[in-house]
Amino acid sequence: MAVLTLDGVAKSYRTHLSLHKYWILRDLSFEVREGEIFGFIGTNGAGKTTTIKLVLGLLFPDKGTIRLCGKDPSRPEARRRVGFLPENPYFHDYLTGLEFLDFHARLHGFRQPERRKRVLELLERVGLHNRADRALRLYSKGMLQRIGLAQALLHDPDVVILDEPMSGLDPIGRRDVRDLILELKRRGRTVFFSTHILSDTETICDRVGMLVRGRLAALGSVEELVRGEVGSWEVTLAWPSPQDPPIGQVLSRREDRVLLRVSSQADLHRLVGSLNGGGAKLVAVSPARRSLEELLLKEVRCAGAQADGVVEEGRP
Amino acid sequence: MSGRILAIALNTFREAIRNRILYLLLVFAVALILCAQALSLLTVGSEEKIIKDFGLATIDLFGVLTAVLLGIGLVSREIERRTVYVLLAKPIHRAEFVLGKYAGLVLTLLVNTAIMTLCFVLLLVAKGIAEPAMLLAVLLLFFQFLLITAIAVLFSCLSNPIVSCILTLALYVTGHLLWSFDLLRARVAAPWARALCLTLQRVLPDLAPFDVKGMVVHGIPVPPERLGYALVYLVLYGGAVLGLACAAFQRKEMQ
Amino acid sequence: MSGAVALGAAPAGRARAGASVGPLRFVLAAALCLVLSIAFQAEFGAAGRGTATAPLLYLPSGRYLQIAALGFDELLADALYLWSIQYYSNYDIADRYDYLEHIYRDVITELDPRYLDPYLTGSMIMTTEAQQPEMALRLLDKGIQKNPDQWILPFEAGFTCYQTLHDYTRAARYFDLAQAVPGAPPIVQRFKAEMTRRAGDIRDSLQEWAAIHDAATDEYVRTIAWNHVHDLRVQVDLEDLKQAIALYQDRTGQRPARLGALQTAGILPATPRDPEGRPYLYDPRTGVPSYGGLSILGR
Repeated sequence: MAVLTLDGVAKSYRTHLSLHKYWILRDLSFEVREGEIFGFIGTNGAGKTTTIKLVLGLLFPDKGTIRLCGKDPSRPEARRRVGFLPENPYFHDYLTGLEFLDFHARLHGFRQPERRKRVLELLERVGLHNRADRALRLYSKGMLQRIGLAQALLHDPDVVILDEPMSGLDPIGRRDVRDLILELKRRGRTVFFSTHILSDTETICDRVGMLVRGRLAALGSVEELVRGEVGSWEVTLAWPSPQDPPIGQVLSRREDRVLLRVSSQADLHRLVGSLNGGGAKLVAVSPARRSLEELLLKEVRCAGAQADGVVEEGRP
Repeated sequence: MSGRILAIALNTFREAIRNRILYLLLVFAVALILCAQALSLLTVGSEEKIIKDFGLATIDLFGVLTAVLLGIGLVSREIERRTVYVLLAKPIHRAEFVLGKYAGLVLTLLVNTAIMTLCFVLLLVAKGIAEPAMLLAVLLLFFQFLLITAIAVLFSCLSNPIVSCILTLALYVTGHLLWSFDLLRARVAAPWARALCLTLQRVLPDLAPFDVKGMVVHGIPVPPERLGYALVYLVLYGGAVLGLACAAFQRKEMQ
Repeated sequence: MSGAVALGAAPAGRARAGASVGPLRFVLAAALCLVLSIAFQAEFGAAGRGTATAPLLYLPSGRYLQIAALGFDELLADALYLWSIQYYSNYDIADRYDYLEHIYRDVITELDPRYLDPYLTGSMIMTTEAQQPEMALRLLDKGIQKNPDQWILPFEAGFTCYQTLHDYTRAARYFDLAQAVPGAPPIVQRFKAEMTRRAGDIRDSLQEWAAIHDAATDEYVRTIAWNHVHDLRVQVDLEDLKQAIALYQDRTGQRPARLGALQTAGILPATPRDPEGRPYLYDPRTGVPSYGGLSILGR
């Protein structure tokens, strides 16, 4: 059951003075299923925020359709069960934390005393109950992020959309956000978030969409995406001889330690088997999975090559 | 729905009263009204007229300034400061947002006008020249503020504050000069030019119905039809303006 | 909101639950309101606005209007002047002269005292249309005071006194003012001379005309001046002669037999001759001197 569907979505931008259209998104199609954590990754400027704005009805697509909770995002019903936290949240900074959440709770239609109860609940949950009567103007970035999350979760939404939720946070803050996302999943909610920090994505996302220059370069679970890549191993040997080991690619050498990359299981077995005598010893073996980061870099390079005309470009 | 509009209205009001510019204008207005007393010392003859003229003119001027200055940034500033994203992501209609902002501004203008009027009335009472007709004049001025602010909000949905300011003030000026189209129409020969004059006269906002300052100060009774006319015109024309504002905002891209 | 505007019926294709909300319904609502407001205004506008011109009659005095003009006094004066012309050329308005003086003297010329047209046009309206020449003179007096370097204003005032009030003494005074302004055309002087004559000061008039004649650089002016000098000379001489004859009669109890007797009796230093050089005629029976020639200007 898809909570979010994009089909053939394209979005262009035209500067005021020129007639030249600049395509931010081309032929974007994917869906987010109920109950999953979907990571939307890509380089800065790839179009992630634009996509999110399109999903929420803040922008309108040039082509294609979008369905949020089964409806067009410009209809308020579509957003009823959706919570949103924008990147670098901008809030009315003359409001206090309490006033801010109360205002948003009203927008959701909560009345007293339910409203007050919820507001206090959320403030506690994000750890801001002590600073609720300070103006937002005086909040730190981390505090703003937290009050933003509070606002997004006020109505216990089924779908939570976050734009770069970890950006600008310290490691503790990032961990808190990660834990929050995992908790939402545990409670059966759907989370769709964009990020350019890939390490977090690998650990928590069920599925990932990779946006490169406005196109979806990859879509699927993390395993699916990196599976096709040749797995390799990093082997650390004690190797007294000045010559290189016969098997594997030398990554680095230090005194009598050498770090090798071995590209297949067979080669690994042969290498280990060949370490008889001569002072060579196996120190460490670790599988080096191709990471999402490498995949992204590869896709970016590909897209660059396409744009430069080296490789033929697909239709917009 | 009305709950959401009310929420936005109250929030807008809260923002306005925490805006220092509002206080500045208000302080100036009150000071100027009290100045009327000093000014009246300069006159030979009836000081009553000077005080009344000056007081009403001050309320008029500062009310219009407040309506324009707050109105032009109402929507465009939210977009510019990006505070609008998280609001429009809520389950509200875009029209509710516009109308809520407008309602908040109406409330602000109400409080503003009430304070200025209070000072004015106190001065009049102190001089023993108070009359209920003054309040009628202020009421009609208030209707004028509502109309001007609706126009400012419309432009706020379409463009940046500077352009909005110029256009709104331009319409304010033409709003008081529509009588000249009558004269022009009588002088001009070509039928197309006459049609153009008539069209402009009808389509541009007419602010003359809201101005009874002269009548009130000269003690000429204001017929109730004038009040009724002003109210109906405000509702109809203001409705058209706000409708356009909602339409403009409905498909506005939040870049 | 969805129930509010039935007429904003979106095209059938958009009626699906999933489709997006377009601005059409608002545009239609706005158009409806605008049409209604236009119709309303057309129908009831007169009642609603009062007459368009009425409020402007309640203009405060220019001194206070200056405050509102925010430094655009002259522009405001222009606008009001233009309006006033339209207003006063509209003969349908019955009581339009009620505030005539207020508008011109107390408002427009207060805002811009150096603007000449309002003085001239205003005084013209006051004199010829409102039949209030004194009001016109008051306006022009103000103009003269504020614009001492403009000859046209006292000239206009003098002309009003001459043509409408037939008050030649006043006219002469105004023309005197006018001709003293540097740059005043020569005709002003001639007007002054003529008014002086009409006011009865023929000797002064003669002097003025003589001065004009002597200073004249062009034949036309010299001829005119000479004509006046000629006739005035005759008039003055005849008056002098009459006075002398009366004196003689007082002294001697009878009329002189000839004009020369006046000189003999010591009453006149010399017997005057007419401008042609001939002696004046005298009838001893009536004691009335007369001129033997023809008056040039027919007086």
